[in-house]
Amino acid sequence: MSYVSVRNLQKSYAGSPVFSQIDCQIERGEFITLLGPSGCGKSTLLRCIAGLTPVDSGQILLDGIDIVPQSPQKRGIGMVFQSYALFPNMTVEQNVAFGLRMQKVRGDESQARVREALQLVELNDFAARYPHQLSGGQCQRVALARSLVTRPRLLLLDEPLSALDARIRKHLREQIRAIQRELGLTTIFVTHDQEEALTLSDRIFLMNQGRIVQSGDAETLYTAPVDLFAAGFIGNYNLLDADSASRLLQRPVTGRLAIRPESITLGLHGELDAQVRSHSLLGNVIRYRVQVREVELVVDVLNRSPADLHADGQRVSVSIDPSALREVA
Amino acid sequence: MRADPKGGGWYHRAVVYLLFLILLMPLAGTLLYSLATSWSATLLPSGLTLKWYVALWSEPRFLAAFGQSLLVCVGALLLSVVLILPLLFVVHYHFPRLDALMNVLILLPFAVPPVVSSVGLLQLYGSGPMAMVGTPWILIGCYFTIALPFMYRAITNNLQAINLRDLMDAAQLLGASTWQAALLVVLPNLRKGLMVALLLSFSFLFGEFVFANLLVGTRYETLQVYLNNMRNSSGHFNSALVISYFAFVLILTWVANRLNKDKT
Repeated sequence: MSYVSVRNLQKSYAGSPVFSQIDCQIERGEFITLLGPSGCGKSTLLRCIAGLTPVDSGQILLDGIDIVPQSPQKRGIGMVFQSYALFPNMTVEQNVAFGLRMQKVRGDESQARVREALQLVELNDFAARYPHQLSGGQCQRVALARSLVTRPRLLLLDEPLSALDARIRKHLREQIRAIQRELGLTTIFVTHDQEEALTLSDRIFLMNQGRIVQSGDAETLYTAPVDLFAAGFIGNYNLLDADSASRLLQRPVTGRLAIRPESITLGLHGELDAQVRSHSLLGNVIRYRVQVREVELVVDVLNRSPADLHADGQRVSVSIDPSALREVA
Repeated sequence: MRADPKGGGWYHRAVVYLLFLILLMPLAGTLLYSLATSWSATLLPSGLTLKWYVALWSEPRFLAAFGQSLLVCVGALLLSVVLILPLLFVVHYHFPRLDALMNVLILLPFAVPPVVSSVGLLQLYGSGPMAMVGTPWILIGCYFTIALPFMYRAITNNLQAINLRDLMDAAQLLGASTWQAALLVVLPNLRKGLMVALLLSFSFLFGEFVFANLLVGTRYETLQVYLNNMRNSSGHFNSALVISYFAFVLILTWVANRLNKDKT
């Protein structure tokens, strides 16, 4: 049986459901991401697992035992919040030691474990500082150390990177993943950022309107979206309605068609005549908007040499890899 | 936002000093009067003395009134801390929607003029099972309602600044009970707001006259009532009283500020 098993979980606020019939299995040591737009219920699901929000019905089994009736104190779950939630009146060391103090761990053992946890997040030199003397990234690392020091059975991360700036975010996310691997910690990470989800996770649960729409590894989610929402949320898919799709492919298409921008090749000697409408340079990638058979397509081209640059209005041609076409419901 | 740093700076400073001087003048006059041997027909007092202060601080009736004022204020503030802190906690943690209602409720003591509510209180507590008029108890209860808005607003601001919910959640997940979380994590972070609220309420209540005079009067004389009753005695003596009162509040504020600063 799975390490974490959520069964038919249901939750509503004031009569309107936040989520219903949530079922998912998580293996020991897995890094799982709940991905979805704001308001899809992912944070509420996380809070229900932590015990901070009561559920209406259903079970959450952790290591074979239903934790729904247990208080958050008893669940042995660590959590990191978007707002850091460090205790402002305590130093870094006291913050990290708080959980051990509540567990009445002896002084010398507590000290050793606090030091070890701070070592893990590379903040040993900051033990005597107060949270207001730290940067956002440092605060979040303290929060991480604080939740790790009690050796939780499950680690929950509620958009821990959302309040940080881009460079720190990238660094910290690699650090989180490295620590998670090192400790073999089963982790559930909540985010609305697809890039974070794709780079970090063993598996992703894509959520929308209180349902898990699709689950699988990053590869599956990226290349094989199950529906329109999944295709729209992950990647920058070209989503064509049946009319446009039929016109583009010159054969009848019944459903909607999703084409990844990087599966289209742009050149001078391709299959279909096209014209560049506009382009923007994203760094290593150039994103073109091209017009093909009165259909506008987004095409991503790797920026390798000046030959990859085409001016707006230029006549080009495109080839579409048939295996990259996906019809979605 | 300074258009002309040089000329403007001089002008702004002059305005501030002038304002300061105008505000300080009556106080300085009172101070001088309290130190004067006599000051009637001349521009400046004829001599300086501390005898009015000596007389004041050896007057048993004054000391009693001072102590009683202190007791009533501290009593009322203790009551408000004991009642309002848990109330605020419950409102903000469990029923955030009630905050709007509370904001209306806490203004009520200010909406009714003191003279009007005194009459009501005299009716209610003058006789019957809860007859308290003339005792310090009614003052403590009444002062509690006056302190309520100060306390509620100041601590609410503080609570909103610390992200109460996340702190409570984090503490509980780390194994703290609700009580432990409230005492170890939330309360220490409310020190600043609480200090501000207490100081503000204290200086207000310490100088309160209308309720004290109407509800209790000479039966439990507070400082302001005593001052009023002394209005026909020597002006020098009364000036010494006012200055002593003022100095006390000033020192208290300063000490509280110092205590507050050191601990962060």
